[in-house]
Amino acid sequence: MPRRSLQINGKAHPVEADDQMPLLWVLRDLLGMTGTKYGCGVGVCGSCTVLEGGKAVRACQIPFAAAAGKTYVTIEGLSSDGRHPIQEAWLQEDVSQCGYCQPGMMLELRALLRAKPNAGAADIDDALSDHVCRCGSYPRIRTAALLAVRNGGGR
Amino acid sequence: MTASRRAFIQTLAAGGGALALGIAFPSRAAEPEAKPFQPNAWLRVDPDGTVLVRVGKSEMGQGVRTSLPMIVAEELDVPLGSVRIEQASPGPDFKRLGTGGSGSISGLWDPLRQAGAAAREMLVAAAAARWTVPADTLTTRDGFVLHAATQRKLSYGELAAGAAQQPVPQSPKLKERTAFRLVGKPAKRIDGRDLVTGRARYGVDVRVPGMLFAVVARAPQLGSKVVSFDAAAALKTGGVRNVVQIPTGVAVIAENTWAALRGREALQIEWSESPHAAFDSREHLRVLERAANAPALTIRKDGEGRAAFANVARTIEATYRYPFVAHAALEPVNCTALVTADAATIWSATQTPNGVQGAAAQLLGFPETAITVHVLLIGGGFGRRLGVDFDREAIEIAKLMKGTPVQLLWSREDDMRHGYFQAASVHRLIAGLDQNDRVVAWEHRKASSPHNARRVVADADKVNPEVVGGWAWGVNDMPYHFPAAEMSYAVIDSPLPIGPWRSVFSPSSVFARECFLDELAQQTGKDPLQLRLSLLGATDPNVPAVVEAADNQIDRRRMRKVLETVAAKAGPASTRAGVARGLACNVFHGETYIAYVVDVSLRPNAPQGKLPFRVERVVCALDCGVAVNPLGVAQQVESGVIWSLSNMKNEITVREGRVEQAYYSDFPVVMLDETPLVIETHIVPSDDDRPHGLGEPTVCPLAPAVANALSRLIGRRVRALPVRSTDLAPQPTESAG
Repeated sequence: MPRRSLQINGKAHPVEADDQMPLLWVLRDLLGMTGTKYGCGVGVCGSCTVLEGGKAVRACQIPFAAAAGKTYVTIEGLSSDGRHPIQEAWLQEDVSQCGYCQPGMMLELRALLRAKPNAGAADIDDALSDHVCRCGSYPRIRTAALLAVRNGGGR
Repeated sequence: MTASRRAFIQTLAAGGGALALGIAFPSRAAEPEAKPFQPNAWLRVDPDGTVLVRVGKSEMGQGVRTSLPMIVAEELDVPLGSVRIEQASPGPDFKRLGTGGSGSISGLWDPLRQAGAAAREMLVAAAAARWTVPADTLTTRDGFVLHAATQRKLSYGELAAGAAQQPVPQSPKLKERTAFRLVGKPAKRIDGRDLVTGRARYGVDVRVPGMLFAVVARAPQLGSKVVSFDAAAALKTGGVRNVVQIPTGVAVIAENTWAALRGREALQIEWSESPHAAFDSREHLRVLERAANAPALTIRKDGEGRAAFANVARTIEATYRYPFVAHAALEPVNCTALVTADAATIWSATQTPNGVQGAAAQLLGFPETAITVHVLLIGGGFGRRLGVDFDREAIEIAKLMKGTPVQLLWSREDDMRHGYFQAASVHRLIAGLDQNDRVVAWEHRKASSPHNARRVVADADKVNPEVVGGWAWGVNDMPYHFPAAEMSYAVIDSPLPIGPWRSVFSPSSVFARECFLDELAQQTGKDPLQLRLSLLGATDPNVPAVVEAADNQIDRRRMRKVLETVAAKAGPASTRAGVARGLACNVFHGETYIAYVVDVSLRPNAPQGKLPFRVERVVCALDCGVAVNPLGVAQQVESGVIWSLSNMKNEITVREGRVEQAYYSDFPVVMLDETPLVIETHIVPSDDDRPHGLGEPTVCPLAPAVANALSRLIGRRVRALPVRSTDLAPQPTESAG
């Protein structure tokens, strides 16, 4: 099996895996980084969203071979201290219910704010409407996302 | 209203200078005290002042890890931040664990208050002994015992060891409601940071050294069994370690989840012919409709019942349809199990830890004491995790893989197709009106499948009015007064497994009932609010204020107050063209009173899978007795609204014995862009001094409120879920005559 180095959260991780194995399972089952969630495996639910060079991508759709040489950020690496403005906004607005979808939601927002630091309500609805939350935390996601914009979540 | 429950409290040996109390309480008020002493909760005050509470409630997003500590901290007089909840595992000391029925707070309110108050009195007694002052000269605050006269104070941590030597007060004095400092004030989630940093560990995140990963190939059609299988190709797939047959199918065990999934694709399985190959959910609904067209088993009769229709001036009738629905929790069901020669360890995101333990003991032939169950965070429960079907599979696999921990994951398509479901149902509602258009007779006939997934329903039960009446929530516990009423239930079994789903038997029944009330209002030219208020006795002193219905006590005054509140808070309806208002209400289990007002507009060009309408504003009023955490209450309302809106656009269909849906693409749930911009929650002040559940009650009346608004918008009644864009499209005008 090919051995490649993956750049995740600012660190190089040597991994030996089948070239077709999706990054999602590399992260979860081979590297033990379980913050990235499995929800559907077909790119529909958004719960495995990670950042690839700053852009939001679905880890279940990226084969191991394609991941080599790129730079990834997962929820574990959104901030070193758990206090990124997006995380703080999520706590401030008490967004999470079960919380399972939130890593994907927050990383999607991180990508949006990187591209558009002054994103408005419509941008947020656009960017986050491909993410399933079965508990219905959406109203608080909206307010928390706007708070994150005000608090410099795009920086 | 539930009676208060007396908890039995004893000091437990703790060592290390801690005060530890075991708390035993019955799950129902009538249950006798268990002997010997078997605590089902546990409270410890450590020398560093930390308070640990161990309870058997699973966290699945409903916020029990925050609201339950609030109750303890209130009576104990400690800051909320110093209380930590530990998840109890079932064992000799912890029986009767379980999370469901919206009962976490209401069930633990008395025991946790009593435990907190008992510990507080013991800490005070310890301080009184140390200072040799009377206990009644001492007060407590924020984790300290204070002696005002001498300005002395001691922390709970310092007093814990001494307190453990004090007798346990069996009837500790509880705080007056007016003295609450925490209960009734919004509190954010204690474990919030774990949830936003990826540290939170759900069932699927369990990682154990040496573990393997499994998926199961299950019968594509209902009821088929494995005849034979060829594992050769699967075993050649990289990373696959083993292929084994279990009662529900063929399991592929591999080094990682992806290898297991790929191995499963390579399996060759011959399945026996399905005994339900002809089952079609559309035909099932037609069968239900035929059943609802005739009276069936009477489960409640008021006054003359159906006979009263002989003397009415006219009748209004309508039929309502409700589909099968899946839970589709975002974390698919999963379970990790390790079985050795004489013991087993199970890690499960379960709502029923004792159920898992019992299933394992039975499958393995081990005593329950040999089974350890670790309960993990649940990525969405909604009743699905009251089943142990997936735990059983994991145990079966681990039994064949002795000594190796195995995590079984249901892929999304497995979760969508092979679980149990909300039952489809058809409701026939008939109202008899007198010459003044007053409703004098009421009939509600429900036809639906019983819960057959977790146990076989005996034929005798299907014709037993007591048993069937217990499945008729929303039908036989309706709050309104009619001089004559008759409710009946036709039990039609379905081969599709049916089980608990958020708010269980209620949603379809409340949908039918509350839509029909709106039809009655519309056809008799009455205001929907005024009609409900009058049926709740607002204008007629002869209507009993409190009524016993299906083991529930319903206080119609409370329902009226909630309705009046929701109407006042909603204010005048919008005069904007294309916006209509809808109203609906319900009393859940005779305990939680709730009403919704919604403002709705059409969305004719909604993309495939999106709601064909927009809910612009939702106003909710509710009376749940004591609102322990008002922030949690608001979240449960938001959650119930979104859940119910999803229920308005998706369904599970079966053709040739096969569930047709597999992903969120064909079972679409509400997304951010379909979420109402405004969801307001108004908690009605209540004289009821106990808290009642909200996880389920917030679901039921939302869909009928929206359907009522839609009916006004399109000029014809919406009587079926899901609501499709074609259902709302303009119809060609029918020619006269």
